Amino acid sequence: MTSLRTDSLIDRLAAGVAPVRPLPAPELRALMALATIVATAALAVAWFGDFAELRNRYSGRETHLALEMAAILATAAIAIVAAFFVSIPGRSKRWIAAPIPFFAGWLLVTGLGCYGNLGRGGGVEWELGESLHCLAFIVATSAALAPLLVWRLACARPIDPLPVALLAGLGVAASSAFVLQFFHPFTVTFIDLAVHLTAILVVVGTVGLLNRHTLVRA
Amino acid sequence: MTSNRWHEHGDRWGELLAAAQRGDSEAYRDFLRAIIPFVRGIARRRCWSEQLSEDVVQDVLLTVHRVRHTYQPGRPVEPWLAAIVVRRSIDAIRKRGRIGAKEVFNELAYETFADPGANEPLDGDAPRTLARMTRGLSQGQQEAIELVKIQELTLAEASVISGQSIASLKVNVHRAMKKLRLNLSKDPPA
Repeated sequence: MTSLRTDSLIDRLAAGVAPVRPLPAPELRALMALATIVATAALAVAWFGDFAELRNRYSGRETHLALEMAAILATAAIAIVAAFFVSIPGRSKRWIAAPIPFFAGWLLVTGLGCYGNLGRGGGVEWELGESLHCLAFIVATSAALAPLLVWRLACARPIDPLPVALLAGLGVAASSAFVLQFFHPFTVTFIDLAVHLTAILVVVGTVGLLNRHTLVRA
Repeated sequence: MTSNRWHEHGDRWGELLAAAQRGDSEAYRDFLRAIIPFVRGIARRRCWSEQLSEDVVQDVLLTVHRVRHTYQPGRPVEPWLAAIVVRRSIDAIRKRGRIGAKEVFNELAYETFADPGANEPLDGDAPRTLARMTRGLSQGQQEAIELVKIQELTLAEASVISGQSIASLKVNVHRAMKKLRLNLSKDPPA
């Protein structure tokens, strides 16, 4: 009985098959998405970024700045590339864990920077102060970048949308944190780091929770 | 069947699926028929029930139809297809678990009369009743009723099979139900 239904299903599907254009390779689609995000972020930074303040803040700690920026950028880029790979059936599941080392490296480098500030007499500041602006910045910038990325990912109609959405959330949150570096008017403290982390979790959680509505499930 | 043998089939499947992406319906029919044993093999290993694994096979066919644009010609088909089967098997097991946690099957609940014979449907009665009730429905409405109400497919699945949009299916089901109620009230069974 079931075989008959399966045969009938095959005949119906085959009769109504329309030509489709195969999706480009995931690495190519990821590159196109990254290029759009980089172009948007570069324009915003060129217009509004405070490079003098950035140089002043990291004066004598250029290596630390380069490491921190590289770790954030790598987290964003790897998470976005991984999201495109995971959205295609049959690609390696290892992509899900790919951004974790870079994310850990980012937290480690920033944490060491906060610790270094203590040594330079920065003292321990446990007040939120301007940190809430950072949270608002990361969430708002992510909200602006996420629809574009999610729209590109939705073209693949992922069979398991949750990991795709979580990786996309991490990608846009890290991109926003990278842009924030150019607008951050003060040295990062431990409380800032905690707020940045909270903002990232908020973005990743929100994109993850919305996965069934934003990514058309196959 | 060994993995080498699947690999031999894989090249042929890749050609058929690439042709299906160009709209070749014969190649697509051959592809879907050829993959059934492979799909069934994985589904049976994952699902404990014969019926559940057959449901997974049909769900996989619908999924393959929806995501056929994600296959890159020239790449092996088996990992692409196996990932779909594994995912759909997990979905089916979870769905069965959710339903099993909330619903209980009670065979006696369907009995309405004390006399066991009275509960048996009359031979050929159901098709006649159905034919009488569906009289006057348009082809689109009949198709919508058959897929959504009789075969109990989801709107998305019915949309893939019928080629109607989800909105059209909803409208057709609504109008068909209205007509069926009217036909039933006008023409009571003898």
